[in-house]
Amino acid sequence: MNLLEASGIAKSYSGVRALKGVSFDLQAGEVHALVGENGAGKSTLIKIITGVVTPDSGTLSVAGEVVAQHDPATARSRGIAAVYQQPALFPDLTVAENIAFALESGGLWRTVNWKSRTRRAAELLERAGAAISPDRLAGSLSMPEQQIVEIAKAIGSGARILIFDEPTASLTDREVERLFRVIRDLRAQSAGIIYISHRLEEISALADRVTILRDGESVGTHAMAAVTRDDLIRMMVGREISAIFPKRDAPIGEVALETQALTCRTAGIRDVTLQLRAGEILGIAGLVGSGRTQLAETLFGVTPADGGEIRVRGEVVEIKSPADAICHRIGYVPEDRRRHGVVLDLPIAANVSLANLPVVCERGLVQRGREEALARGYVERLRIKAASIDDEAASLSGGNQQKVALARWLAIEPAVLILDEPTQGVDVGAKPEIHSFMVELAERGLAIIMISSELEEILGMSDRILVMRGGTIAGELPRSRATQQTILSLALGQAA
Amino acid sequence: MARWGRELSLVAVIAALSAVLAVTAPGFFTAANERDLAMASMPVLIVALGMTLIILTGQIDISVGSQFAIAGVLAGVLSKMGLPVALAAAGACLAGAAMGALNGALVAWARMPSIVVTLATMVALRDALRWVTQGAWVQDLPADFQWFGRSQRASELITAGSAALLAIAIAWSLDKVAAGRAVYATGSDANAARMAGINPSRVVFSVFTLTGALTGCAALFNAIRFNQIPANAGMGLELQAIAAVVVGGTAIAGGRGGIAGTLLGVVLLGMIGPALTFMGINAYWEKAIQGAIILVAVAVRRERNGS
Amino acid sequence: MRRWFPNSEWVLLIALAFEIAVFSALGENFFSLGNFFEVVRLSVELGLLALALTPVIVTGGIDLSVGSMMGLAAVVFGAAWRDWRLPIPVAALAALVIGAIGGGMNALLIARWKIPAIIVTLGTFSLFRGIAEGITQGAVNYSGFPAGFLSLGQGHLWGVVPVQALIFALAFAGYAILLHRSAIGRTLYAIGFGESGARYAGIPVRRRLALVYLLSGLVSSCAAIIYVAHLGQAKSDAGTGYELAAITAVVLGGASVFGGRGTVWGTLFGLFSISVLQNGLRLAALPAEMTGVLTGAVLLVAIGLGQMRQKDAPAATLEETPVKNTQLAVLCATILVGSLIVAGTNAWLVHSIGAGASAPVASTTTSGHRPVVAMMPKAKGDPYFVSCRAGAEEAARDTGVELIWDGPTGLDPAKQNEVVEGWITRHVDAIAVSVENQAGISTVLRKARERGIKVVTWDADAAPDARDFFINQATPEGIGFALVDEAARLMGGKGEFAIVTGALSAANQNAWLVFIKQRLETKYPGMKLLTIRPSDDDRDKAFNETQTVMKVYPNVRLIMGISAPAVPGMAEAVRQSGRKDVFVMGLSLPNLNKKYVHDGVVQAVVLWNTRDLGYLTVYTAALLARGRLARGADSIEAGRLGKIEIRGDQVILGNPFIFNKQNIDQFDF
Repeated sequence: MNLLEASGIAKSYSGVRALKGVSFDLQAGEVHALVGENGAGKSTLIKIITGVVTPDSGTLSVAGEVVAQHDPATARSRGIAAVYQQPALFPDLTVAENIAFALESGGLWRTVNWKSRTRRAAELLERAGAAISPDRLAGSLSMPEQQIVEIAKAIGSGARILIFDEPTASLTDREVERLFRVIRDLRAQSAGIIYISHRLEEISALADRVTILRDGESVGTHAMAAVTRDDLIRMMVGREISAIFPKRDAPIGEVALETQALTCRTAGIRDVTLQLRAGEILGIAGLVGSGRTQLAETLFGVTPADGGEIRVRGEVVEIKSPADAICHRIGYVPEDRRRHGVVLDLPIAANVSLANLPVVCERGLVQRGREEALARGYVERLRIKAASIDDEAASLSGGNQQKVALARWLAIEPAVLILDEPTQGVDVGAKPEIHSFMVELAERGLAIIMISSELEEILGMSDRILVMRGGTIAGELPRSRATQQTILSLALGQAA
Repeated sequence: MARWGRELSLVAVIAALSAVLAVTAPGFFTAANERDLAMASMPVLIVALGMTLIILTGQIDISVGSQFAIAGVLAGVLSKMGLPVALAAAGACLAGAAMGALNGALVAWARMPSIVVTLATMVALRDALRWVTQGAWVQDLPADFQWFGRSQRASELITAGSAALLAIAIAWSLDKVAAGRAVYATGSDANAARMAGINPSRVVFSVFTLTGALTGCAALFNAIRFNQIPANAGMGLELQAIAAVVVGGTAIAGGRGGIAGTLLGVVLLGMIGPALTFMGINAYWEKAIQGAIILVAVAVRRERNGS
Repeated sequence: MRRWFPNSEWVLLIALAFEIAVFSALGENFFSLGNFFEVVRLSVELGLLALALTPVIVTGGIDLSVGSMMGLAAVVFGAAWRDWRLPIPVAALAALVIGAIGGGMNALLIARWKIPAIIVTLGTFSLFRGIAEGITQGAVNYSGFPAGFLSLGQGHLWGVVPVQALIFALAFAGYAILLHRSAIGRTLYAIGFGESGARYAGIPVRRRLALVYLLSGLVSSCAAIIYVAHLGQAKSDAGTGYELAAITAVVLGGASVFGGRGTVWGTLFGLFSISVLQNGLRLAALPAEMTGVLTGAVLLVAIGLGQMRQKDAPAATLEETPVKNTQLAVLCATILVGSLIVAGTNAWLVHSIGAGASAPVASTTTSGHRPVVAMMPKAKGDPYFVSCRAGAEEAARDTGVELIWDGPTGLDPAKQNEVVEGWITRHVDAIAVSVENQAGISTVLRKARERGIKVVTWDADAAPDARDFFINQATPEGIGFALVDEAARLMGGKGEFAIVTGALSAANQNAWLVFIKQRLETKYPGMKLLTIRPSDDDRDKAFNETQTVMKVYPNVRLIMGISAPAVPGMAEAVRQSGRKDVFVMGLSLPNLNKKYVHDGVVQAVVLWNTRDLGYLTVYTAALLARGRLARGADSIEAGRLGKIEIRGDQVILGNPFIFNKQNIDQFDF
């Protein structure tokens, strides 16, 4: 019996077609994996299933019944529950209450029984595989702990359709095992599970069927046993890997940046030792939660280090804030583009000059002419598509916003540039532009650190690859020895 | 233990102040004085119950003083028109609820910031009242108005009892009723609340309306202690209520806090003026001390607020 | 274009230009450059606060303490000059230092310790005002500043432009540069749009936030200095209520409370729209209370419309979405409506006065023109003044004059000046003012006299050369003595008593207290004054204070109230306590206390016939306006009051009157 059936689902966001007519079905008692690159449309499909987003066209039916009006509350009542990468818990409420919100329903005027809530929460947390006290405030939990609470919520809601979106990103091996046990239990109870993951070996171990999405379309649905990992990768990528990245031949120069036993307890980084040379693109790979962004933020001063040292061009430096980093000509294009990369409500010109206002100022006053010239220069150089440099960043597409973010950091004339997921959410046309630009910068002597979750990108762009795991470096791979398998095995902590 | 941390620290402060008073001015602790203090705090207390809810949802309301004044005058006017005092009371509460609903609708559905909305209604309502009354007090009230027509004792018991009931009911609902938990959820994360099936707009609208009704109630309980109703009541009431809630531990950002803290805040702040009088300290320092207490209370808690 | 006026404020410029054109066409009596600048003069202090708040609100914060800082800086300035004998510039520096310290306190708590601005500034709102009241005991009023200093607030440059307008222009330019041209300003907007995003761009967020709050404190103290120069007095109540008006101006001008939006031009126009509205209402002799109602309504409509215009408004959050152009349209509409009211009224006035409106109109009053007498109480809402009004209206009917009754709703000396300015513009025939602030109002009253308007003061006097006559019901000395004598009579000349006053800073009550204390010393050494408690003219507060006093001082024999709303509160407290041995008396209105007097709770109410006072005032003003009264007369026939004595330039109503059980029923006010 089909627990869930989606057919012809299409959705566009301001002109970008996220889904182009996807069909998908889920049966009772199966784990159905959903794979695809970033931007393939997986999260959009999930949002439609959970009612957060309404499709532009297509139908959705649950247990044979067509769903007309769909919203999160309806989804819940139909037995759909999701465990996202970013848990949406109430930070000021206890774990028990957070779980209760997912489980309980009924009138606004019903009374709440705290004892039974706490008891139930403890049970579910146990089943989800963790010993978290139900009385703790959700805001005090670590990310993996929050995820477990989310899993407990999903289990407890008695949902028949469960969606797991990259659930193992920050879990230890043991926790992963426990999760798999939970999922298998649920499957045995005739629930249907949609499992999204980049970790192909997980999917091989767990899933019954797999659907591959690519560029908003479904490439195919297959029994897990019938496909190999290579098949999957091929279907996800749809092209030969090596063809897309620009050829590189930059001379590698002096050491621009190095760290020695760098530690930041609050960020979870420990003992990171690395070297970065001018002209080099150093890729940093690792699973979500391995500490890549945290390392970048420590280097950039957002979460200043409390142990170890950083050297810029041979000199020991103290980086206690982003302003310090900028002083030492380190730039950082962050992962969260909309919140940290650009200021959406400021025009392009203002965004570009924001990190280096002195360069467009005369005695503290912004010189419009200079600012405009600066912005126009980058608009041209990076081929930013915008009507005018006075347009607000919010009006641009993801790719162009990323270019503006990049322009901001290029404007400080950095020696070191850290790029965190530089092409995430960037449209297909802009991606290669950004890549060729990175190569150009490296050829000009910039030292680049590139953090990416897309293995092809890492493999295609990097001269060397550092693999992170658990907040520290798990291993280093020169380009010649790097493959998806070697990276993944280091990332997972297994022998290559 | 940690759960009651902030309430305990408040109790400690109140205890310390009481200790000082016990030594310097034992007259503070006579039954008569305590009773008077309690009755004097009733308006702030009842209003602060509602204000707690509003601040828990992450909003604020600085118009309660004006609502208080209008409700009081209305109660008197209705009573003079011949309505029995119970109906006049209902009228006052309804008027309060209506004014609160206006605030609530603008904040919840027109999505206007509550500080601006309640600033506008505060000014507009206060001036409208002045316009209508031209400063005249409501006098010559029927005999059954003061003390509800009963004895002072009985009326005070009714007031205190009602306040206690309201406090308990609201505190209990906040803790044990889904609607009350929805208040916390809305203040903690409105988006997550929507995902959890709560309608944050409705929650916000309701707390403003409820606070308006409570203000009307408070105005009524205050009005029946006298035999005439001034046109300028409730000046500064909003500041007192907000101060009590914040000193009592409710976070101004919403999502954390409760009635217990507010009650303690009302007690502490209500003690200051009389304590100063008892200790022979000049009245001139009262405002400065109140301000200092607010600042100390929030500064001390900044670690909990997070960095 | 978009750069200068990101929120399309240029539309407002057009509206203002239109207004100026309309008024100039209607004749200079009603709107001249001179009067425009007077309006500006009156807005400067508020404008400075609004300017200071603009960057604060742009960063997503708020500062409720600016008005209170004005009070604190004012008294520090006054104390530095008078008590520590520092020269004026050094005293001003002291005031600025206090502003910096206060701003620094806000900065520390908000920027460094990350406590929400609304609650920090709510605390400092109380703290600053409280310290000001504490060190002056509320009562101290520094005045007598040198003329050179006063010209800062009262003088003119080139004959027309008020000096403080220049200061405001400088401050405006400074803030315009800071916010809109400088790098720092750019970072402020970035912070407003998202603090964490700003951090990632390398902006030193904490430093910037500290700067705006520090500046806010400094500018508030600057505004205080101008305020003191303007009014000629420094008291702890300076700037009361200004913070809310300033916030209204900034928000009306397009700033978003959540940060990232707002311009100094917008703030200026927001300020203007409020001033024009008030001015328009005043010139049209519409009630002052309408200002509050209309301002509130305009604020709601402006922001509400701005909200509704947002399409794609994410249903997800309860956060405000930025406010933009439609708000400015509403602003324009307000200004236009305000101007139309003024224009319409002025046109009507032109008709009713007759031809040739260019010269001062005193001479035409004898020929069938109905004189206009404008009368101002200290506070419209005070029941005492409300009862005066009844008599005033009676006299207006008896003498056939038109009566305008207007004034501030609460004690507000700055507002009184504004109102008089409006009357001068309207060119009324006579002005009668109950003066809250002697020093400041005298300047503007003199100006009225220069324009041929007759000026009398009543209830509380201005400088003798600023008015033709003073209708005096009783001197502060007379009142103080009468109160003490009656108390002594009740107490038998000995025992302990307490006083409940109005607001700690109320000028006339403080004047009475001086004479009360003096009388006690000279005549009744056996009577001891235990304490003076403030009631803020709030009946309920007086009630609570009295209860406490009876507990703290069990031997108290009498409670004297010197604020009209306080006495009934005191009486109720004594009655409820059941203590028959405590006397209650004071200065209040008979009607408020009738029941208590009959029940024997209140023994005596000291006053004078307020109705008669109002009556006499208008009658005198009418006589003056018609040219039937001049200095040198020793009496007048005042309608139903009969013959009233004039002593020099004072028209004496009579002695304070003691209302008690025997006679109180004969009166109804």
